[in-house]
Amino acid sequence: MAAIRLLELLILLAALAGFAGLLLRRNLFLKLLAMDVTGSAVVALFVLFAARSGLRSPILSRLADPDALGQASAELADPIPQAVILTAIVIGLSIQALLLVVITQLARIDPSLDVSGFEPPERP
Amino acid sequence: MSDASTLSAEPLVIWLLAPYIAAFVVALLPACSAPLILLCSLTTALLGAWTLREGSRLELQLLQEYGVSLSLDPLAGWFLLLLGLVALAVWIEARRQGWDRSGWLLLLVLLGALNTSFLTTDLISLYVSLEVVAISAFLLILRGATANADWIALRYLLVSNTAMGLYLIGAALVYAQSGSFRFEALAALPPGAPLALVLVGLLTKSGVFLNGLWLPRTHAEAPAEVSALLSGLVVSAGALPLLRLEQLNDAITGLVAPIGLASAALGLIYALSVNDAKRLLAWSTMAQMGLVLLTPAAGGVMAFSHGLAKAGLFLTARHWPGRSLHDWHERPLAWSLQLPLWLGALSIAALPPLLGFSAKKQLLSVLNPGLSWLLLLLAIGSVAIYARLCQAPWRWSPQPPLCWGALLLTLPLLISGLVVVAGRPDAPALLQSLLVLALGVLLHLGRGRLNSGSGLDLPQLDRLSDLLGGLGVVGAGLLVAMAGGSQSLFTDGGG
Repeated sequence: MAAIRLLELLILLAALAGFAGLLLRRNLFLKLLAMDVTGSAVVALFVLFAARSGLRSPILSRLADPDALGQASAELADPIPQAVILTAIVIGLSIQALLLVVITQLARIDPSLDVSGFEPPERP
Repeated sequence: MSDASTLSAEPLVIWLLAPYIAAFVVALLPACSAPLILLCSLTTALLGAWTLREGSRLELQLLQEYGVSLSLDPLAGWFLLLLGLVALAVWIEARRQGWDRSGWLLLLVLLGALNTSFLTTDLISLYVSLEVVAISAFLLILRGATANADWIALRYLLVSNTAMGLYLIGAALVYAQSGSFRFEALAALPPGAPLALVLVGLLTKSGVFLNGLWLPRTHAEAPAEVSALLSGLVVSAGALPLLRLEQLNDAITGLVAPIGLASAALGLIYALSVNDAKRLLAWSTMAQMGLVLLTPAAGGVMAFSHGLAKAGLFLTARHWPGRSLHDWHERPLAWSLQLPLWLGALSIAALPPLLGFSAKKQLLSVLNPGLSWLLLLLAIGSVAIYARLCQAPWRWSPQPPLCWGALLLTLPLLISGLVVVAGRPDAPALLQSLLVLALGVLLHLGRGRLNSGSGLDLPQLDRLSDLLGGLGVVGAGLLVAMAGGSQSLFTDGGG
């Protein structure tokens, strides 16, 4: 159980590092990569939560004996978070792709992609 | 419509899927766009109106225990009716702007995603539909086709995706602690990190307070029809789940209501100081969304009246002679634009007999009386904001630029408001709103005097680092408030 706690902590640290990178990096592309770090941490968190009940893939046909199902299911991973995060991975990927397209457009204006170059100068 | 009282799962699911199917059909056969968009938006509006009239509730659980849970109730009915009407009005205006098939596809996908997000009551389906809403809104903003539109759209999707990442962490923690993704499971947990993370995500989506700092520039820079969609509809996709959570647990109302009030104050102050008419409308959206979140008992009608009025106002923006408020009073506007402009402005300023007045009255009646004087102050502020928009002279030309979409949205405000006020005349409330009107106009005149001397220098709050920092600040603030467990003013009101 202690190992899972440690991993949980590391994953949350990764998410935090991604958020900090998003805040502190000045290059737009690096900001996007920092956002991806947060996204990967979220994926890892879901996979970790799925593994709390066990590490084996929850596929029934692989189980040798249906009678042994009761005791075997104790070691199976939880399929719900895995299924959920699959959707989130796909959405994250498509958003990443869309943002990269726009960043390519913006690079034509300012190839250095410095955020301050795009911020409008006027008051609110 | 009596046969509709036997509403069951299958027609509802078909209705939820229809906009997506229609979107693909329109992409292949653009000629079909008109009947399909009409069908989708009218069925949405009719379903919303029917739910409101019958006051019925329908709970659905698709694909067993861990599947999609949907709930159709009067609260969602307000939002569905709003969605149908605004989509219809935007379609009317966008047709005249010559939108092509990609525009219709995005409009239909946005309609479908909003339908889903208004009905769903589990965290994961909500996540998926909110992300689809964000992606289609992002692509709609890109229709501006300028470098600035690229930057605004990028900023929007970056902030919204970051917030949804935090939301997902919250959803994972909810599942780890309770074994379910349903709203009920979240509301039953003791307040803590899961709730704070989910709230940060939803508050960002609804454009409230520091989480909503992305909103003013995004809504102001988008093309007029897209601004109407964003300000009328997209923000309410985040507000309805928040209202549902508030319904489930009073402690959540105690956390969200102060943020709503702060948002109303922040939006008002900035709307009073900006000099760009579209920016003024956008800051006022932030203020009004804060008021929507105050209580679930009045949130539906508040969001409905605000959404109609704000979408109508943004639709007229296409025909304005300019956006600067400095010389707004020198440039005459045709009467056909002034009519929706005045109706929308007076409704948001909550003046009788418009619907905004009745909505505000309902809000006051369910809120803790200790807060009503604060709301009156805010009402004076919003009169002063909209007085700035109403100072353009009227022009009576024989061939005015007609804005049918804006009329479609703002005339119901007048008609339904008249029906409600005539049904239950209330002399003290009418007198009170006259007083608020007088004080608001005084504030407007005083502000004009002050501004001509030394300009108000408010800090610029919408750089990218401010937007992201806002997420962190509000998240940390929520955690501190939960640890303190202080729910004094907001939870013991009637409601």
